Parts: sequence; structure tokens; C-alpha cells
Amino acid sequence: MVRRRQSICRRLWSFGDVASLVCCRDSVRTICPQNICSLRAHMEGKYYSEEAEVDLRDPGRDYELYKYTCQELQRLMAEIQDLKSRGGKDVAVEIEDRRIQSCVHFMTLKKLNRLAHIRLKKGRDQTHEAKQKVDAYHLQLQNLLYEVMHLQKEITKCLEFKSKHEEIDLVSLEEFYKEAPPDISKAEVTMGDPHQQTLARLDWELEQRKRLAEKYRECLSNKEKILKEIEVKKEYLSSLQPRLNSIMQASLPVQEYLFMPFDQAHKQYETARHLPPPLYVLFVQATAYGQACDKTLSVAIEGSVDEAKALFKPPEDSQDDESDSDAEEEQTTKRRRPTLGVQLDDKRKEMLKRHPLSVMLDLKCKDDSVLHLTFYYLMNLNIMTVKAKVTTATELITPISAGDLLSPDSVLSCLYPGDHGKKTPNPANQYQFDKVGILTLRDYVLDLGHPYLWVQKLGGLHFPKEQPQHTVIADHSLSASHMETTMKLLKTRVQSRLALHKQFASLEHGIVPVTSDCQYLFPAKVVSRLVKWVTIAHEDYMELHFTKDIVEAGLAGDTNLYYMALVERGTAKLQAAVVLNPGYSSIPPIFQLCLNWKGEKTNSNDDNIRAMESEVNVCYKELCGPRPSHQLLTNQLQRLCVLLDVYLETESHDDSVEGPKEFPQEKMCLRLFRGPSRMKPFKYNHPQGFFSHR
Amino acid sequence: MPGSEGAGEELFPESCFALALRGSWTLAWGLESHPEILRGPNTKMEVFQTLQRLHMTIFSQSVSPCGKFLAAGNNYGQIAVFSLSAALSSEAKEESKKPVVTFQAHDGPVYSMVSTDRHLLSAGDGEVKAWLWAEILKKGCKELWRRQPPYRTSLEVPEINALLLVPKENSLILAGGDCQLHAMDLETGAFTRALRGHTDYIHCLALRERSPEVLSGGEDGAVRLWDLRTAKEVQTIEVYKHEECSRPHNGRWIGCLATDSDWMVCGGGPALTLWHLRSSTPTTIFPMRAPQKHVTFYQDLILSAGQGRCVNQWQLSGELKAQVPGSSPGLLSLSLNQQPAAPECKVLTAAGNSCRVDVFTNLGYRAFSLSF
Repeated sequence: MVRRRQSICRRLWSFGDVASLVCCRDSVRTICPQNICSLRAHMEGKYYSEEAEVDLRDPGRDYELYKYTCQELQRLMAEIQDLKSRGGKDVAVEIEDRRIQSCVHFMTLKKLNRLAHIRLKKGRDQTHEAKQKVDAYHLQLQNLLYEVMHLQKEITKCLEFKSKHEEIDLVSLEEFYKEAPPDISKAEVTMGDPHQQTLARLDWELEQRKRLAEKYRECLSNKEKILKEIEVKKEYLSSLQPRLNSIMQASLPVQEYLFMPFDQAHKQYETARHLPPPLYVLFVQATAYGQACDKTLSVAIEGSVDEAKALFKPPEDSQDDESDSDAEEEQTTKRRRPTLGVQLDDKRKEMLKRHPLSVMLDLKCKDDSVLHLTFYYLMNLNIMTVKAKVTTATELITPISAGDLLSPDSVLSCLYPGDHGKKTPNPANQYQFDKVGILTLRDYVLDLGHPYLWVQKLGGLHFPKEQPQHTVIADHSLSASHMETTMKLLKTRVQSRLALHKQFASLEHGIVPVTSDCQYLFPAKVVSRLVKWVTIAHEDYMELHFTKDIVEAGLAGDTNLYYMALVERGTAKLQAAVVLNPGYSSIPPIFQLCLNWKGEKTNSNDDNIRAMESEVNVCYKELCGPRPSHQLLTNQLQRLCVLLDVYLETESHDDSVEGPKEFPQEKMCLRLFRGPSRMKPFKYNHPQGFFSHR
Repeated sequence: MPGSEGAGEELFPESCFALALRGSWTLAWGLESHPEILRGPNTKMEVFQTLQRLHMTIFSQSVSPCGKFLAAGNNYGQIAVFSLSAALSSEAKEESKKPVVTFQAHDGPVYSMVSTDRHLLSAGDGEVKAWLWAEILKKGCKELWRRQPPYRTSLEVPEINALLLVPKENSLILAGGDCQLHAMDLETGAFTRALRGHTDYIHCLALRERSPEVLSGGEDGAVRLWDLRTAKEVQTIEVYKHEECSRPHNGRWIGCLATDSDWMVCGGGPALTLWHLRSSTPTTIFPMRAPQKHVTFYQDLILSAGQGRCVNQWQLSGELKAQVPGSSPGLLSLSLNQQPAAPECKVLTAAGNSCRVDVFTNLGYRAFSLSF
């Protein structure tokens, strides 16, 4: 680079040399003499350099010079033009003169041009240099900025650093100062300095943990020791069992000899362990009740223990399985339509499945008839059912009308008011039924047994009205509280049914079997006779025209038994439609009457028929006879015969009709009619034997 | 029969009715209530109460002196007091058709009741009892006094079928089973006279307003007119002997009577007949087959009721103006509430062989029924 510059300088020098020569020669006078002087001086000192000259010269003035030179040239050209156009000989000199002058001016122009170039170059160099400097500065600035950023990042990193000790849950500050020994807490140092304080607390924590670890190790060793002891004791106990067994074995002959069936009972208890909870409750309570209060009650367990064992699972599991399999089956049924019916059938069977074990209660009544009750537990429905059977000591001739009296379907109906045993007592069951398409349990009770409410209570199952199945727990106290009353009711029921059974046998043959201890209720001579006693269907009863009142009063439910009695005397026929409530004899049979004699008379058109009905229906308590008043039905019918006698005999004689009265008055009556509704004297007064008004 | 009295009392204990009135049935044997059980009568108590209501007969009615209450007596000896004003008010509910108070008044049926300006007098088997209306409405149902007419000794106590107030004398006339009319002074409570003449028991009484004369009709088929001043029988009409109105198959008995000046209407076994008293001749025979148990004059009409569901309205000429059906199969008493104190309670009530008292706000139709 230096060499290049030198060469340029040399060239410039030579060029400048020429120019300065021209200047010196031609225009010393005309063009600023100082400049040239200075130039000269400069040239004298060193070498001639146009570059240096540029520094010395003023560009403004150069511009003036340039303008001036151009004007001069123009003028000279114009003069030459002028001269040339005028022509002439002397003109040539002048033109020559002028040409020389023009040449000098051209030289000046050339020089100016060179100077301009040099200036330009110089400006460019300067600009470039400045630019380089700026670049360097810029680089430096960026470096610095980066450094700053990096440092800032480092600072935040430091600030965000988390120490492990923050996660440790330390004891609170007050506790720390209270409990930690002073050599750790160092209150005077740490009080003011949170950092030191934290350190001290951490120290304390460590100390405490060390102590606890020590304790833990101690406890472990303690536990080990106790386990070992237990092991030893267990071994001892297991060795005891065979020894006891052998003693038991040895004592068997003694038990037999002394008639003490401990072992048999023990076996039963063993079996009882496999009973589902409700049956177990029933078994325990019934056994207890039998032993304590009622020797006629015997309890037994039936069914296969092995099956029960195989089945044993916690109930929740089995239910879950059930619902799962349900869901699966539902899917499969969707796929395979033809087998839908079969699958539903299977599912129904599964749902209605009962536990393989059942509890048998045999309840002996006074006359040696026995009520056999078999209690089942429906596992998936979580309800209990009962099947009943009555056996009697002597063979009974079953009257036609008594068909339903002892049938297992109805013998226990409404033991408690309204307990028909046709609906499931567990509200949750309805949802289960919906799944498999069972409309109501009613269709299955014959097969499964009846789910009476009292059965659930005996099994300790209590179904609250609005809560779902899972609150159902077998409860001993519930069972115990119902045991006594239920057993008594059961006995009464069987006895009343058997009594009715006997009565029906006579009634069908037209005999009203009044017992000797009830004889005093009726006069000795009763002329009206029962001629018919038949059972009728519920629907038929509802359709009778004279039973409307009873139906409207809601006394004709479908759980009742219905009968039709016909009492006759001469031409008078008295029909009596009878509603026999399953709760007989605490709830009386209800009679509705229709007399066919001189027209049809019912309670709506004859006040005395109405009175006769109320005599048997409302005043039935007089007819109950000796407790437990099983003879009520017979007495009511006999009373009806007496009432008909009174009705017919006291009927006022129509004077206009010829001949004697059809029914001469044989009964002794104080008065024939009484009161505004002209009641007849229906009340019989026993020892005197006359009839009076109530 | 020994102990039959006691048994009778046990049959209708007051408490069981109090239970029924409150509508809260306690279930027998302590069984917890189950929704199924509450449908229809199930327990012994419920069945018994339902039967009792089915066989109830309301024999008598009487309106309180204020005209706002109606007392009704039934065959079980109970008197129930209904509030007519509550039942007739626009905001009447089902409960307002139930008795305000019910109490056991007699052992036997309450055959007849009348109200004086302070007392309710009720009569049944042999006795007449007085109750203070003010006390009854305060539900303190204690009898004020009781009186028994002097009966000749008899095996049974004769019943009192009819009571009649004679305001001029301030006396009460009782008639019934012993075939006599007994006049009782309400001031002293003493029985002043006995009018004898009937040969069978007396069903009904009626007062001729102008002259102090009393009419009585009985089972013997005669209507007898008595002069109270002389205590003598003035006139006898043996209705069954008149061919036009006798109906032998129904019997002779006269079940109901009413008078208006010279006119008398009576019915029962014989047909319902309008008589002119001075001439003792039947003027109109009303064509009604069923025996009538109650008859009354109302404006220019005659209202009668008896066997059958309807209240019959007759023109004096014998034309049947209307038959308005009620809710009972047979009616025994009608009561017109004409107390000037309560014009808003001016109604006709009818009761009979049921536990309901039908209320007719006008003569055209049954508005509703009050029920025991």
C-alpha cells in the first residue's frame, strides 16, 4: 500500500510539475500570485505534491476559479467567432493570441479537474476510515451488552435457588425456642439473624430425628419379641384342640346315657355358622325363644352345608358379579336375538335363587296339630320368604268350602294387618326386577314362599322406606322384639283356621255347630235353618247388588275369603254374603243380607234388615263366646237364624189378607216395635228367654 | 244377660271415636306403619270403626239458638255438633264438614232433640238430658240435668221418641214408649201432667200455635188432639180407618205429623195425607208409596222424607213438585234452619240411615254432606 501511494505521488508529482510549469509560465499575473508563491515554497521544501496542494487550496476558491476560467474561455471563443466572422488579415494574429490564452485556460481546467479527483478520493478515504472506527465501537458495545445480560441471568439463577431445607416441616418458632437446648438455639445470636436461626432450627430437627429413629428401632425389637411370644402360645393352643376333641369323644356315651343332646345342638350350631345372616338371626332368636318361653317350638336347619360352603362369599362381591355379568349378558343378548327368552329366564332364576340352607320351625299347638314353617333366604333379592304347612293329629275330611283355609298360599295371609305377602318388602328389588322383566313377585310366591313383613322382621331385616338396599343389616334386636308376638299370632292363626275348618265341615251339611258353652246366646228353639254354605269368588261378591256398601268402605279386599250362606224358613229366603278376613277371629266376618220374602229386602229399603246386619257385624263381641273366640262365625250364623225368626214372626199381619199368619209369633217379646225406625226386638235376654230392643 | 250393660259400654268407647275424628289411626300390635298397610281398613280397630260408621243411623237434629251450629244424634248415643257457618263459608275445607265436637250423650240412641234459647235437650231411652249450648261449643260436654218421666214399672225402659217445646207455658212435652204424653215444667223440672189415650207407642208430636193444643201420632194409627189447659183429649182421627189413605200392608202407624192452623199433614203406614182438622176429613192424599218418617210445612209447600233417598216437595193440591235425592238410603229427619240470627245459614238438612247429614242450600239440590 505504501508503495502504491508512492507511485501515485510520483505520477502526481510529474503531472503537477507540468501544470505548475504552465501556470508559472502563462498566468503569473492573472492568477493569484500568493498561491503560486506558496506552491513554490512548498515545492522548494520537499517535492511537489498535488496531494499536499489540495490541502492548501480552498475548494470554494477553486470553484470561483473554475467559473472564471469557463467565462474567460467562453469570451475568448466568442471573440474568435467574432473575429472569424469579420474576416480580415489581422484577425489571424488576434485569433492566435486568443488561442494561446484559451490553451492556458484549458490547462487551468485540467489542473482543477485533477484536484477535484484527488479531493474526491481523499473524502472517500476519510469516510471509510471513520466507518471502520464506528464498526469497532459497535462491536465493543455489543460485547458489553451480552456480558451484562449473562451476569443478570446468573444473578436471577442465584436468587431462585431452592434449598432442600425449605421442604422440611420444622417445628414452630416458639416451640423451637422453648424446647431446643440453648447450645443449639443460641437465642442471642439467632434472634436477629434469620439465616442463623434457620440453621439452628435445622440442627434441632436433625437432633430430634436422630432420637426418633432410635426409638423406632427399639419398638421394632419389642414387636419382634411379642410376635415370638404369640407364636409360642399359638402352638400351645393348637396342641390343645386334639386333646379337647378326645375328651369330647370320650364324653359322648355319658351324654347319651344322661339324655343331654349337647353334641347334637353343637352340630346344629356348627351348621348355623353357614347360614346367611338373616337366617342366622332367625335361627338364634327362634332357638332362644324356644328354650326360654315356648317348649313347643322346635328349630332345625335343612339343606346342604357343602353347597352353602361352596357359595360362601362376601355379599357385596356376589352382587357386583351379578351386575357385571348382567351387563355382559345384555351385550350378548343384543348380538344373539333368538336366545333372548332363554337368557332372561336364566337371569330370572339366578335372581330368585335362594340360599341352599333353610330354617325349619315347627310350632306345635295344643291339639297336636303342627304348623311347619320353612324360611328361605333369597340371596340376590336380600329378602326372606316363608312356606307354611299345617299337619293335624287326626286326618281331616276337607269340606269343599274350606279349600283355601289351610292352603299354604293363604294360611298366613295378613297375620299382621295388611301384610299380604305378595309384594317384595325390599324397595331395591323393584329395580332388579325391571332388569330381568319380572313385573311383580306375586307370580313367584307359590314357588318361593311368601315374603311377609313379619318374616323380614324375624330375620332382623328392616327395610326403611326411602333408603336403598345397602342399609339393610341383619339385626338381632329387631328379630327378638317380634319373636314372641309373631309366634303367638302364628299359633292363634293355625288354631283359628283349624276351628274354621271344623265349622265349615258342619256348615256345608246345613248344621250350625253351636258349642255348648255358647248355647246361652241363643233361644232353645230356632226355626230358621242354614241350607247352603258355599265359597264364592271375589269378583262375584263385588257384583252382588246388596254388597255395595262394604265394597265402597274398602272392606272387600282381594285377600279376604268370600262365602255365601242361605238361611231359609218357609217361603222366606235370606241370602248372606260373608267376607271372611284372614285375621279371623280378631277381625269379624262381615255379613250383608238380602231377604226374599214379599219382595226383595236389603239394607237400603228395610231398616230392620239393616238392624240385623248391625246385630251380627257391629255387636259381634257378644257372639265371640269363650276365648279365643274361634266359634264366632258359627255364632254369627246362628244369630242370623234367630234374627230371621224374630223378623218374620214380628212382621205385622196384614188384615186384608185372608188366612192365618205364615209365621205365628212364638218368641216372647216385650214390644214389637220401638223408636222412629220401628225396630224389631232383636236382642235376646238369656236366662229369661225373652226378646227386647237394644 | 249378665254384664250386657258393661259389654254395651265397651262396644262404643268414646275414645275410639275421638281417634276416628282426628283421623289418626293407631295400628294395632305396634306394627310400624307401612305404606301398603294404610290403604283400606286393615286393623281390628279400623274395621270396627268402618262397620260402625256403615251401620250408623242419625235419628235427630237440632239447630243451635244462634243458628250457626247443628247438633245431630245417632243410634250409638252420640251427639255431634257441626258448624254450619264454617261448612257454608266460601273457604270450607273437608274438615269443616266434620263435627266440631262429638260426645257420648246417652247409652242408647238419641231419638229426639230440641233447642231452647240456651239449652240443647236430648232424649233417648227413658231420659231427657239438658246440655248448655255455650258449654258444648267450648267442648265441655257435661250434662246440665237429666229427668225421667214417671213411668209405670216395666221390664224395659220406654224410649222417648218426640220432644216438643211449648213456649207459652215454658214447658216441654215428651212422648214415646209408654203411650203417654208427659208435660214437664222447664222452670222447676217437675212433670206436671200426663196425657193418656194412645194404645201403642207414640211416634210424633206437633203443636198448634194459636190454641194451646198438641197433636200426637202413634203406632196405634191414631192422631190425637189434646187440649193442654184441660189435659183432655179433644179429637181423635184414626187415619187407617179411612179407606182412601189406609195401606194395610204397611201397617197403621203414624210416623210423622205437622200442622198449620186448621191443617194437618200426617203419614207413616197409611199414605201421606192432608187433613182439615175442624171437619176431620182428608183433603189431599199424596201419591207416595214409601212410608214417610218426617213431614213439615214450608211456605206453601209440604216437605216430606222417609224410605228412599229423596226429599219430596209437594204442592198442597197433591202434586209432586220435586224429588231431590240425598246421600242416605232412607231419611228420618228434616230440619229447616230458620233462625233469624244467622240468615246466611238458612239451609235444609236431612239425615237418616247413614252417618251423613245432607245439606240443601236451596230446595233444588243437595249441596254437600256433613259427616260423623
